[in-house]
Amino acid sequence: MVNPGKRMNILKALLNLRHGPGAAILPPEISRLHMDFALRWNDGHMGPRKFWKTCLPRLKFWNPAVPMIINRSSNNAGPATLSIYFRQAAAAAAALPHPPARRPNRIRARPTSAPAPPPEEGERVVTIEMKHQHSDAILQEFLQKTGATVLQPSPDELNEMRQTEDLKDRAAIDRSIMKKYIDDKRAEERLLARAREEAEAIRLANQ
Amino acid sequence: MASTSQFLASLARLSISSAPRPAASSIPRFLAPSVTTQIRCASGGTAQMQARQREKEKLKRKRRQQRFKEYKYAVPTGKGEQFSLCDAMRYLRAAEVGRPPSSVTYEVALKVRTIKNGPVIRNRIRFPYPVKNDTRIGVICAEGSNAMHDARTGGAVAFGEQSMFDLIKANANNLPFNRLICHTDSVSALNKAGLGRVLGPKGLMPSLKTNTITKSVKTMMHEMVGAETYREKIGVIRIPIGNIQFSPKQLSENVKTFIDSIKADIARMEDRVDKDIIEVVLTSTNGPGFTLNGGFLPTDEKVDPAHLATAM
Repeated sequence: MVNPGKRMNILKALLNLRHGPGAAILPPEISRLHMDFALRWNDGHMGPRKFWKTCLPRLKFWNPAVPMIINRSSNNAGPATLSIYFRQAAAAAAALPHPPARRPNRIRARPTSAPAPPPEEGERVVTIEMKHQHSDAILQEFLQKTGATVLQPSPDELNEMRQTEDLKDRAAIDRSIMKKYIDDKRAEERLLARAREEAEAIRLANQ
Repeated sequence: MASTSQFLASLARLSISSAPRPAASSIPRFLAPSVTTQIRCASGGTAQMQARQREKEKLKRKRRQQRFKEYKYAVPTGKGEQFSLCDAMRYLRAAEVGRPPSSVTYEVALKVRTIKNGPVIRNRIRFPYPVKNDTRIGVICAEGSNAMHDARTGGAVAFGEQSMFDLIKANANNLPFNRLICHTDSVSALNKAGLGRVLGPKGLMPSLKTNTITKSVKTMMHEMVGAETYREKIGVIRIPIGNIQFSPKQLSENVKTFIDSIKADIARMEDRVDKDIIEVVLTSTNGPGFTLNGGFLPTDEKVDPAHLATAM
């Protein structure tokens, strides 16, 4: 098992999962997200992929109740769209404080990877065209269209982030020291081996 | 006599004391036999003290080797961070977002304090909420016996004795079952058939050790459906414990069942060896590992456990 000290350092990097691009709380009328893009990055599918890899985990962390479904196809010529499903005002008002929790079974019954489904009654869809866009641009558009509130890390967390950074720098220094030590050792061993060979050769020559 | 002088001459060439040395030789100083004898620098103290020190070191090494590695951070009083189940689930669900849900599972790694050469924990467990349901059982039993009838009614995909052996030999790489059990009366026939070479590497060979030889095919099949096997390896037991779409309640019940079962296993082997659970780590297929503190509720009061039960 991985050494817990090491594991804790990895978990410190979990701060990355809480704060950074994509750390935002979605307004309650958003019922779900659906992303549709290709498996490979050619033809402008890199942006959506990076958005999924970097921003979506943070969005999921802050909005655990919002289903975020991804459908990836092998068709690179196809579109790359992000669909945001809004509950209409009346439906949102009728909804309980924890709206998505009240119908998990219906959501689960739906296949989890399929083309974006049409909106249900009382829902409207806003789409973002992600093809040939940088993930930052996608995030910008997403935040603007959803009206999400961006979260800033607290001073404590900032401090912790700085410590993590320091740890990383320290690790780089340590690694270089270690590398130098190992390289020196290997060089010396090589030298020794060569010297031994030469000594052997001289001994043989003199016999 | 001649040979000795020759040898001496070569020695003289090698030694650094010979002043008119040929410039070509590039032997480093430490290789050549030195003139002065080296004095080994002892750490100090009398011979007795050194002997005692050596004895101590030896004992220490021996003691260290007996058990698997343990870390002071992992014990409950250590300063390592621990998480409640819902917190860990929240992080893991965030880490797994967008992955195909069928291929993502929650997993548990359980660190056990144990000696290296003792007996290992090894058993089968039935979770209240099974992780996957693709158990296909094959049964080896005498043709036309009661056991065969049980196998047929219990839903075994393949059963029989000689017919089974033929089937296994014919398509060894594409067997219709992924669990194989054997009735006690057919064990000798199985051993004669010489299938160990085929079944052994797949982990399918029935044996008492893996608890797959039985008198009652019916009960064995019943407890095998949806069951997971686990065993301790290098002091750790790892097992998939839930689908990523499980709710916190379902997952907590599975974890509880698992830990109870481990404790029962330990209690059963108590007279021979004493084992102890050190830490329980929850992880997922692509996620980091979280040490659980035994709590359930999330620390963030804005998050309800029900929020963690929605689709990914």
